[in-house]
Formats: sequence, structure tokens, C-alpha cells
Amino acid sequence: MRSHLPGALLIVGAIMTACSPEPATPKASGEDDGKLSVYVVNYPLLYFAERIGGDAVGVEFPLPADIDPAFWEPSPESIVPFQQADVILLNGAGYARWVEKVSLPETKLVDTSKSFATRFLQVEDAVKHSHGPQGEHSHAGTAFTTWLDPTLALEQAGAVRTALVNLRPQHEAAFAKGFTALERDLLDLDKRLQATVARDPKKPLVGSHPVYQYLARRYGLNLRSVHWEPDSAPDEKMWKELQKLLESHPAKWMLWEGPPLGETIDKLERLGVRSTVFAPCGNVPEKGDFLSVLRNNARNLEAVFAEEGSY
Amino acid sequence: MIAVTDLEFRYGEEFRLNIPELSVDRGSRVAFIGPSGSGKTTLLHLLAGIVTPTAGRIAINGSEISRLDDVRRRDLRIRRIGLVFQEFELLEYLPVLDNILLPYRVHPALRLDEAVRERAVGLARDVGIGDKLRRTPERLSQGERQRVAVCRALLPEPAILLADEPTGNLDPANAAQVLDILFDYSQTRDATLVTVTHDHDLLGRFERIVDFKDFHES
Amino acid sequence: MTDVLYLAWRYVLFHRYKTSILVLSITLIAYLPIGLEVLVSQSAEELTARAASTPLLIGARGSALELVLNSLYFESASPTPMRYEQVERVAESGQASPIPLHARFRARGVPIVGTTLDYFDFRRLRVDSGRQMAVLGECVLGARAADELGAGPGGSVVSSPENVFDLAGVYPLKMRVAGVLAPTGGPDDGAVFVDLKTAWVIEGLGHGHQNLASPAASAAVLERDGNRIVANASVVEYTEIDASNLESFHFHGDRAGYPVTAVIAVPHDDKAAVILQGRYQSNDEPCQSVRPRRVMDDLLSTIFRVRGYVVAAVVLVGLSTLATAALVFLLSLRLRQREIRTIVKIGGSRRRVAAVLASEVVIVLLFSLALAGGLTLLTGWLGSAAMRAFIVSS
Repeated sequence: MRSHLPGALLIVGAIMTACSPEPATPKASGEDDGKLSVYVVNYPLLYFAERIGGDAVGVEFPLPADIDPAFWEPSPESIVPFQQADVILLNGAGYARWVEKVSLPETKLVDTSKSFATRFLQVEDAVKHSHGPQGEHSHAGTAFTTWLDPTLALEQAGAVRTALVNLRPQHEAAFAKGFTALERDLLDLDKRLQATVARDPKKPLVGSHPVYQYLARRYGLNLRSVHWEPDSAPDEKMWKELQKLLESHPAKWMLWEGPPLGETIDKLERLGVRSTVFAPCGNVPEKGDFLSVLRNNARNLEAVFAEEGSY
Repeated sequence: MIAVTDLEFRYGEEFRLNIPELSVDRGSRVAFIGPSGSGKTTLLHLLAGIVTPTAGRIAINGSEISRLDDVRRRDLRIRRIGLVFQEFELLEYLPVLDNILLPYRVHPALRLDEAVRERAVGLARDVGIGDKLRRTPERLSQGERQRVAVCRALLPEPAILLADEPTGNLDPANAAQVLDILFDYSQTRDATLVTVTHDHDLLGRFERIVDFKDFHES
Repeated sequence: MTDVLYLAWRYVLFHRYKTSILVLSITLIAYLPIGLEVLVSQSAEELTARAASTPLLIGARGSALELVLNSLYFESASPTPMRYEQVERVAESGQASPIPLHARFRARGVPIVGTTLDYFDFRRLRVDSGRQMAVLGECVLGARAADELGAGPGGSVVSSPENVFDLAGVYPLKMRVAGVLAPTGGPDDGAVFVDLKTAWVIEGLGHGHQNLASPAASAAVLERDGNRIVANASVVEYTEIDASNLESFHFHGDRAGYPVTAVIAVPHDDKAAVILQGRYQSNDEPCQSVRPRRVMDDLLSTIFRVRGYVVAAVVLVGLSTLATAALVFLLSLRLRQREIRTIVKIGGSRRRVAAVLASEVVIVLLFSLALAGGLTLLTGWLGSAAMRAFIVSS
């Protein structure tokens, strides 16, 4: 310090320090011991996070219940809570397009399907359009309903566990316990589905919507898809498309994302195709949880495969 | 009360003051006269203790002051001796009241308090400058200035008043007035007044006149 | 004591012109070297603080100073870009967290900085009004930028074309202001912040179309072959992103090749910093790693050297002024001989006389030092702001 004017300059120094603007401390979204604030982009991840994280986490999934989370178009205001999260779990495989269009803290993002990125599937028949409740959307590019393959779901759950342990290492044991229980459930489901399909591996099936790619690959399903919605009646063109498909792919069953319209069911049956529901469970189900929905799916599939096929 | 014995004061090669004997009674009013350079002012300075003699003795009330050191002489001077000068010698940057109070500011022996201040104001009023206390000397007439100087000299209530040509720069009316003040103080307080003067009109008022032509040799 | 001071004060007051001149000259010679010192040191601190808080900077090979100036102060036009994969490379190294920067464009002279949300945590920037940017096409403004552009939350800012003849490349994007940051007194106050992806949109790497597959766009379609659609140039390229076309925005090509102008690498610890730096040492490495602190220190050492000479010159002048002031005091004493004699004659003590004469000097000095101190304080407050403005605007 300069010593020319002790009094004045000491004051100068003191006042300068006092006057220089204080940098604000960043808003902390949780102390190191409080509940982890986890934001997710779809329901399966919410389920995994809750099963693994238990009381140590508070999982948020602030999307409307009646939309497909993959095509959610968030308003800027709905992004704000995501920015405050301790961790944001992404599905990966290009699932939530909206992530590309928003500002999220890079360091908090976790891509839960990164570990099997080399095994992603592409959607065939890229340009499809359909008028769903959210308007037009396209499934062009990478298929993203990875969790319908229980073994991939398990890998995603593993990524969730790793992310949680990184942030709360003190709860590692609890997380491991939750994960193990989930793992058992998923593997049981896998075995069940395998056994079901093994009855008739080549059975032709039609998917009403191109969301069963990973399911099909896992169990070697002979499945081709159209691009229909459960709650809207297919038009003339779409029926013609289906009929053309059935010529080379004589399926007797169509898998639906949700209960289809009565008239559609009837019309399908006239074509010799019966309908059953295999819900992808991307969003929160009206009843039950992820596992109960998938078990229900498995039950529906068992009914499909119980039939003897003639094709 | 003032006793001078065998006083000799030499200043360089040229000036010599020789006073074998001179005494002034207490309470008396004495005038010193004589040609210029005869040592009147010098004797005044010797009596005030401003300078010390080369030889001889000066006693005031029996105490010899000529051998005192400068500090003690100043102490004595400021408390017991009031001085008035021909050129007034006021401090031009001080207002009238502060000029009057000056002795109380320049020596620790005199303490300036409210009582002193009141006396100063009273003195000023008595001599007719009570309404000019805030003015600086440049705004005063000659007569007023000398009256300020006189108040300054009288404020410490000295036992001895030494005035060196106090009326030299004043007109007859002011001269008379100033002399009145000095005489009045001397009479009222029984203070000794020694005045150096060239003004023969005023000589009549003094009890005693000392002519210096005898004391000085050049 | 009070008597002495009173007399000295009266004297000083009476001779106020002489006193003022004395006080002024002494104030100046006391203040100038110190004020200069304060000013320069402060600005040095400012510059160094910003550089010191930025541990490591990765950029394309070239002038390290330009890289630092562009990344820390958003100065220097058109820095050489790097590929985005360099950002991923830092992340994958495990040694540091990367914060990419894209500081190329301007909005009416104000730099547009494309980055990620991590930048705001890193620089401890807080949103003061409105909110943080959330979707593509939004921006947040530094406090000063908001004033300069006259925009606030809900308003908009348009990016400027790089040059008048830029017809096919960069085109203006109208960005919605989501919020304004709290002032920090630094270069961040003077910038428009956008998401890195938004900066890429300005670059022309991403855009929104009318959906080519929808019937309304069929007029723009040249040919359709199965799923392949070729459109003509009449397809509208939006200059504004809002809720109606946000969905259609997308990026072409491989992100790895997208441009960034710098990467702030925040190492996990000192060892990590060294390891990371080491990776950029080889000669065929397209990028360089730079320690901004070191670069600024080099720059400042030059400035300090010059300052040293200036201070020396001022001190010399100051000494001669002091000598003159001393002379004035001495002459003043001479002039006061009469006054001194008067006080002596009436019996004033030696000490008091000396004290009165000395107090005049003391009073003048005290006034001067007080004034110099006050000016130094002022320099401390205002000088800092002035220097910041100067650094940032030059």
C-alpha cells in the first residue's frame, strides 16, 4: 500500500473495497444434503428415478398429462424450472426435440441412453405425417422409444443411478437397493415377454404407430407399422395403405398405443385384424404405474400369442 | 518605584546611553523629552525589559530586572507593563476586539476567559470604539487605531504604562483624548506613566519632565 | 493551543488568496502522483481480476492477446473460429468443464455473445429483471447493453449484418429479450447474451422453414420423390423465432464442425490445468491454450513501466513546487517581522510566537492534505468507473 497519505488512502482502500459490487452467489437449487431436484423428459425416467432415488429425490415432470412428451413444445416459462434443477434426465436418441431448442445448464444434463447410442435404430418411412392432439409431427430419424426394450430400460436406469450417486454419494447404498429391486422387475418382465414371443416368433403383427422398434428388435417381432392415432379415424388413404401392407404381411393383430375408436376396431376386424393395446407409457398413465402398464402390455401380448396363427 | 543606577547602554560604535541615576515614583506621570537619537526610546525599551543594559542596574519595585533572563522579562512585561507605540502596532489581520485581547493570546501567564472578554468590550466602549469591535484596523481612523492600542495596553491592568510618542501621529483632538485615557488610568489605578513625547503642548500635564540631552553622548 | 490556532487561522483567512494558491499547489503535487497511482493500480486490478478469474482459455492458434481480449472483453472483430468438437474434447478430457463462447456478432455495436447457462454461474451473473433465457431466439442483456440498446424484458434486439454486402451469409435475427442482468461493473454489462445455438442460427447454420411437407408449402416444392423433397429458395427463412415457428427450427450438418470462438476451460484442480494445457503444446495442434492472467500481466507490465516514468516526472515537478512553497513561507516570515516584533514588545512568549508562525504552515498543509485526500477518494470511486468505461469502450 502507498504510504504517502496514511489516513486518506486507508479510507480510500476501505471504501473501494466496500463499493466494488459484490458478485451475487448463484441460486443454489439444493444443499448437499437436501432432496435432489430431478427433472425428467418422460414418465419412464420419472419412474426409474423415484424407484432408485426414493426419499432422497424430488422428481419433477411438469408436462401436461395428455400429450406425448416427445413432441412437447414448451413455452419459455415452462423451461425456467428445468434451469433450476440439480439434474435433468434426458432419454437420448433424439427423443425430446425441444431440448435442442432451449437453454439448459449443460453440466446438469444426463443422457440416459448414451451407453447404447451405437445400437440406436432408425425409423423407416421417414416422412409421415399425422394429425394428433398436438397437431402434425414426424418420427423421422432415430427411433426413441428405447425403454420398451426392458434391457435398454435397465441400462437407462443404470445411467439414472450413476447420476444420482454422483450428486449424493452418501446415499449410494440406498440407491443400489432401489436399483436392484427395479432390475429384478425389469428382468422378470423381459423373461415373460421372451417366453410369450417364443411361442410363435414369426407371427406377423402391425403396429398402429412407429413406436415399437426396440421392442420388436429385442424379441425379434415380425412387426411393421403404420402411422395411425388411437383417437382419430384413419382416412381412405390410410386404410388403403394398411390393406396394401396386409397383402405382404398378413397380420391378424394390431398393437395400439391406447384404446382405439370403436369404429376403427370394427373396421379392422372386418379386415381380419384384431386390436390390442401395448401402451408405450411415455407419459403418466391414468391408472397404475410404469411396471403395471408394461405388465398389462405383456398380458395383452400373451393373449395375442396364445392364438394359433395361420398365415 | 522605578530606580535606574549607573545605567550604561552601548549600541555599536556610535551610540552610548549613560544614566548615572534616575528614579520614578510610583503613580507619578513623567515625560521624557530630548533631541532625536538621545535614547528616550532606548530607555523605554530598557525599562520594559525588551533589551538589557551593558552595565548598571534597573529595579522595579525593588526587584532588579536587568539581570533577568528573556523569558522572565517577557513574563513580567506582559503582566505588569503596558506599552503604547507611536505607530500603533496593531495586527492588521485581527479585528479590533482580537487586537485588544492579543496579550491574552500570546502568553500563557494571561488566561483568556469570559471575564477578560467582557472587560475588553467595556474598555472599548469606554474609549468610544465599542461599535467597531468587528472591524479590522485598515478601516479605522488614526485616532481609533491608537485607542485600540491603548485598550490592548490597559487590558492586563498593568502597574506601569510606557508610551513612546503615543500622540505623534494624531491630530490635536485625538491626541488630547488619548492622553486623557492614559492619565485617567494612571490616576485611577495609581499606575506609573512614563511618556516619551515631542509635543510641548502636552508637557504641562505631566508632573515631571526629564530632559535627555544630558544623558546622551554621541 | 486554541489561541495559537486562532491567530494562525485569522492570518490565513485574511490572506486568503495567497493561502488558496499555496493550498492548491501543494494539493496538486501531493495528489497527482498518488491519484495516478490509485487510478492505474485500480485499472490494473480490474483487468487482472477479470483475467485471473478465467483460468484457462482455448482458442484457435494465433495471437494470444487477441484471444484474451475477444473472450474476456468481447473486443476484437472476427476472431478465428474453432470447431465445436474442441469443446467436447475438453469435456471428454475429464480435466475441466468447458464453457463455449461465440463472440462474433454485434447488435448496433454491442457484442452478441453466444454461450451456455454455465457461463452465468461461472461469472456469477444474476438476472435482475425478467428471467434467464429459455428458448432459442431469446437473449439476456447486460445492464449497460440494455441502456445502450434501449431494450428491456419483453423487448427485442436485432443482430447486425456483418457487412453491408452480406447477402447470402449472416442475416439479421430479431431476438426477444428475456431479461436484464444485474450490473457488475465489468465487460459482461455491455453484452447481449444468447444461447450458443441462437448464435449458430445467426451464422446461418440453423433455420426454420415452413414445413416443406405440409400442403401450404407445396408451391415452394420443386420436386417430390417419395420421401425426398427439394424446395426452391422462395421458402421463407425466418428472421425471428417465436412460438409459431420454434418447432420448425433445426440445424443442418454435423454439430462437431460448428464454430465457437473460444472455450473457457474450468479445470477441476491445478494438476488438471497443467495436464490440459499440456495437450495443446504440440506444433500440429490447431488450437492453443492460454492463461489469461499471464497475458494481461505482460500487457500491464508495459503500462506500468510507462507509468513509472510519468510518476517520476510528476514527483520531480512536485519537489520543485514544494521548494517554491517553502520559499513563499520564508518570504512570508520576512514580511511578518514587524508583527513578530510587536508581539515580542508587548511581552509575547517565544514559544507562542514560533507556534503562531508554524501554525500557518500547518494549516496550509492540513488543508492541502485534506483536499488531496478527498481528491484521491474521488479518484477511487469515480476513477474506477471511468477506467472501466475507458477500457471497455476503447
